[in-house]
Amino acid sequence: MRAGLAIEAQGLVKSFDGKPAVRGIDIAVPEGSIYGILGPNGAGKTTTLRMLLGIIEPDQGKRSLLGHERPLEAAKTVGYLPEERGLYPAMTTREAIAFMGALRGLPLETGRKRAEILLRENGLGAYVDKPIKSLSKGMAQTIQLFGTIVHKPKLIVLDEPFSGLDAINQGRLEHLIRDEAAAGTTVIFSTHVIHHAERLCERIAIIADGQIRFEGLVAEARDRLRPQVRLRTRNQDGAWRRALPADADLERGFWLFELPPGGIEPLLKALIEGGAGIEELSIERRGLHDAFVAIAGEQAAREMERAVLGEAA
Amino acid sequence: MMSVFEAAWVIARRDFVATVYSRSFVLFLIVPLIMFGAIVLTSQVVDERTASQPNVAVVADSATVAALTTARDRLVKATEAHVFPALTPVAPAENVAVQTGQLLADDAGGYSAVFSGTLDRPVLTGPTKVDESVGERMNLIVEDARRVAALEAAGRTAAPARVERVVTDQAAGNLQMIRQDIARGIQGLIFGITVMLATLLLSNLAEEKTNKVIEVLAASVPLDAVFLGKLISMLGISFVGLALWGGVLGLSATLFYQVFQDWITLPQVGPAVGWPVFLLLVLLYYGSNYMLLGALFLGIGAQANNIREIQTMTMPITLLQGGVFFLALTVVGSSNDWLAWAAYIFPFSSPLTMIAYASEHATLWPHLLALAWQALWIVLIIRLSSRLFRMTALKSTTGESFFSFLRKARSGG
Repeated sequence: MRAGLAIEAQGLVKSFDGKPAVRGIDIAVPEGSIYGILGPNGAGKTTTLRMLLGIIEPDQGKRSLLGHERPLEAAKTVGYLPEERGLYPAMTTREAIAFMGALRGLPLETGRKRAEILLRENGLGAYVDKPIKSLSKGMAQTIQLFGTIVHKPKLIVLDEPFSGLDAINQGRLEHLIRDEAAAGTTVIFSTHVIHHAERLCERIAIIADGQIRFEGLVAEARDRLRPQVRLRTRNQDGAWRRALPADADLERGFWLFELPPGGIEPLLKALIEGGAGIEELSIERRGLHDAFVAIAGEQAAREMERAVLGEAA
Repeated sequence: MMSVFEAAWVIARRDFVATVYSRSFVLFLIVPLIMFGAIVLTSQVVDERTASQPNVAVVADSATVAALTTARDRLVKATEAHVFPALTPVAPAENVAVQTGQLLADDAGGYSAVFSGTLDRPVLTGPTKVDESVGERMNLIVEDARRVAALEAAGRTAAPARVERVVTDQAAGNLQMIRQDIARGIQGLIFGITVMLATLLLSNLAEEKTNKVIEVLAASVPLDAVFLGKLISMLGISFVGLALWGGVLGLSATLFYQVFQDWITLPQVGPAVGWPVFLLLVLLYYGSNYMLLGALFLGIGAQANNIREIQTMTMPITLLQGGVFFLALTVVGSSNDWLAWAAYIFPFSSPLTMIAYASEHATLWPHLLALAWQALWIVLIIRLSSRLFRMTALKSTTGESFFSFLRKARSGG
């Protein structure tokens, strides 16, 4: 494994019942980074994470987790929040958190103390001795998240962590992820909600149909598209129109088009000389959503939107 | 990484606490005691019922009735009261044939047969069914009465025979019999408790599969540790049960003995290895038997996706246990034939057979060998079960069902 990487995977392949779920995935997650795996449902995100953690074995390919080729060897320094949340309903919140810590080698008594601190610091002190079954879904999810970090792991793996959380808890989770990363912990999470990845991640992998379509810095993904120009003119027609690209769209009084390869200056000159009467002009860097559409395709983007809408419903 | 044993301990501790502090565990502890009490009471009632002997109406003159009654009392002394039919004297009517018919039809009298005639010309009237249970025994009573009558007619009396008793510590045949009885009793006990507890293991992983905790467990610790932890916790739970049940029964037995010690004779012999070693071996073989069957049940149950599948699996597994138990019972007293060797070697019958061996033979080293052999199989079954679980339930390797996995394995594919 290359130095400075918390996770490295090369050529991971996995099929279920003869159907390929993941088709040759390469990932490199730098230590201390926040890394997002973006993709619609069924793209292979969970399968990839499960292979990285050693829950399932890949049919082909190699992976290394914190320097260990056998992921369970790194288990004490890894925290994992699965997509399908799992807690024992009869356990109290404190015991559930401590138990998850104990599974990662944290002494039970230490786990109990840390659990109490985590619960109190997050305004859940009243629930220390409450059984999981008495909690709301979102609260139970928060408890499981605390169980994921109670042993102070070096690497946190979160599978769709924002799914099922209300806006307040989503904000809390974003805050927690940033805090953990600030403390030097590597965080990798999968999501089908682009703005979480955009707000949190330095690096992302975009997966569609079991394949990596992009892997790198968020900025690099966004830079794959040229910035967008928004232009409003006083005059609707004139010689200046020839300066606009052929695929420029007029939406609600604004011309929208990609910044031409020649840059803004020749365009500005042509607009002024052509008598456009510039009222408003802005150059906007493209968002991750646009980058995602360009990289993964319209259909993958629509599936992501459907998943988000389905969750909201 | 935590060792398998450390991880198993974490799992075992959670399962143990969760089970012992659940309400259903109180039921689990109490129900066997209630059932045991009910069985004891029922068996006494059944004993009394089966002990109630048939009633025979004796339609004869008073001398015949007296001779028959005396003969019966004499025979009963050597056996038990219920072995011989009760005799109820009935004064003869004018028409004995009609009277016999009426007596047999009399619900209140409840006669199984009617004796009429004399000692020289006895007649027993009744259905064919009474021939074995009543007819043969009435023959004995009449024969004894005739013998006494003949001796009296000759002016002699039949002096009861007195065999001189020389008491010894033991006789080989008797010793073997007692030790075989001990062996069978302990085999039955271990089998019963294992049947009751090990089948619980069928559904033991269902909780983790249902509430998705299995994903967290599989990412944190080796699956071998999950299986081993669950087995250890159930073994611990079973020991809690055994301690309580054993305590209650032991206390009851002690109290019973204190009250009735004048009427109770405890056997002076014990198992060949001596009671302390034998009791230790009982615990070890119980644990081994439980772990062997438990590992198998846990592995099979882990393949089930729902309660219905678990229920479907219960029956063949209970039959398997029954088969193993009867194999072990069969070889008690025949420790060197091929069937006995098969029972020693077959891992699932080995613990029950070896405890019988401990009761009958004083040699200790075979137990070390047997326990090591059984431990090896426990490890093998746990490893196989966890791998199968990873392959099928977690879809780690093939992502196919257990049965299609088996089909492929058979065809070498």
